[in-house]
Amino acid sequence: MKRVEVKLSLPVVAPLLDIVKSAADSLQVDLAAPQAMKDIEGEFRDAWNGELLSAQNGDLRTLLALFDSEFFATGVIGFDEENAEAIVRACSAVRLRLRARYLVGLEDEKLESGDVELVQLDEGVRKAFMCYLFLATIQELIIQHLDSSIIES
Amino acid sequence: MIVAQAKPQHAPQPQHETELALEGIWRVVVLNDPVNLMSYVVMVFKKVFGFDENKARRHMLEVHEQGRSVVWTGLREKAEAYAFTLQQWHLTAVLEADEAR
Repeated sequence: MKRVEVKLSLPVVAPLLDIVKSAADSLQVDLAAPQAMKDIEGEFRDAWNGELLSAQNGDLRTLLALFDSEFFATGVIGFDEENAEAIVRACSAVRLRLRARYLVGLEDEKLESGDVELVQLDEGVRKAFMCYLFLATIQELIIQHLDSSIIES
Repeated sequence: MIVAQAKPQHAPQPQHETELALEGIWRVVVLNDPVNLMSYVVMVFKKVFGFDENKARRHMLEVHEQGRSVVWTGLREKAEAYAFTLQQWHLTAVLEADEAR
């Protein structure tokens, strides 16, 4: 089984984990990307959203499990065929939530290009944006190294 | 979980406008969002629809540049399954009746 291990800088990443955890907690009851689905009848829509929420929560648990006691001892996180798909999806969910909660003041174009002046941001927004970039980096790593495992699974 | 699998089709029996609408051809449309990475969207299209790299990139660029891309067209039930799966991947996916047909 292909496995990718990444050693992270604990002093840099550890302070971001509170934000990840807080966003993940807020996603226990809400979808990261709620959608109108006006053509779907009420009862079916509730079941639809319930399934999505359940899947989202499972993915978030897998993401948070990366940052266990071993991570805090070594700074190492690992991705493989077992967890890559859930983690890459969970990163998307948390990034969407960070965007909605903390980064609404940033224009879409700046967010997409990453062309943001960090020193001009309030501390809370800056931390959220760093977290947003950190999760994108995790996604890029997984897509770069485990893309075929995910597509074929 | 909803799976992309069509139920046996019955002969159409015109009854009600809503039922007729459900029987028709539907489009699965992905809308742009400023959050999801281009590489992520390409991977999702490859995974969900089995697109090759070029086709997945073409649809991703269409979403990015034009705000939307029709990624699949067909019967309602399968369109719903695809929309559900795309939503599991946190893409904004909607169903539209294909009224041109």
